[in-house]
Amino acid sequence: MSDLPEYILDREFDAPRDMVWRAWTDPELLSRWYGPGVETVIHKFDLKPGGVWLNEMKWGENSMLSKMVFKDVTPPEQIVWDHYSSTDSEWNSIKNPKMPDWPAVLLTTVTFEEAGAKTRVRLSQIPVDATDAEKACFAQMMEGMSKGWGSGYAILDEMFAEMQVK
Amino acid sequence: MEQFGYENSQPNLDAVFAALADPTRRAILSRLADGQASVNEIAAPFEISQPAVSKHLKVLERAGLIERDIEEQRRPARLKAETMTAAVSWLEEFRKFWGTSFDQLDDVLTQMKIEPKEPDNE
Repeated sequence: MSDLPEYILDREFDAPRDMVWRAWTDPELLSRWYGPGVETVIHKFDLKPGGVWLNEMKWGENSMLSKMVFKDVTPPEQIVWDHYSSTDSEWNSIKNPKMPDWPAVLLTTVTFEEAGAKTRVRLSQIPVDATDAEKACFAQMMEGMSKGWGSGYAILDEMFAEMQVK
Repeated sequence: MEQFGYENSQPNLDAVFAALADPTRRAILSRLADGQASVNEIAAPFEISQPAVSKHLKVLERAGLIERDIEEQRRPARLKAETMTAAVSWLEEFRKFWGTSFDQLDDVLTQMKIEPKEPDNE
């Protein structure tokens, strides 16, 4: 399989590029926004090729560990890392307990582009060294996202509406 | 409050996503959202044979997206909401991860503009 499934997220931020770069690369600032609605603890952050970012997300009694290994750091334009989305307590990559075919490693590229006083950020994630099953799993997720599987929601909505009528 | 989290005893999401990746199967699920139906009833609006529909139903059943009544002769199929919810919420978690984080980054950048150098360490 030559063309790998890719997740892309584009976003423009109303701040100059140096400031956006700082928000991504200063662990104190990064921990304030990274992770949706969770408490983020950055255990290690060594911003250079080969350096690691050891991340913990906490919510309630739960904790989830992940590891990022930087591959390219080009201030203030680009950061590239291998993203290990689940690790054990020793920071060794593990399979996702809920989705065994979820790719263990995603090559993550973040680029920062000046747009006047604003900054355009593009995030891209591609499975690395993935098995065919993992690629297929990621591709299906991406397909689901781009089509919204709106159908997914639509089906649920219809179903719940139906259940209330009965 | 909703969280980015993993619960245990989940359905096999790999199988669920594989099942959902097919447009005919999604259409069948939509049909079943209107209530249970037999193979005949499901096949009617599609330009495919009943055996083909049966095959799709098997895939959906294995993924846990539907269940079929074994008592009744016509074996009506019905949607299993829990599995569907699990799959949709996983997708939502993935989408939410960066989406919500970027919303939070917006807030951090706004704060940084107010307090330019040393951000307040709460």
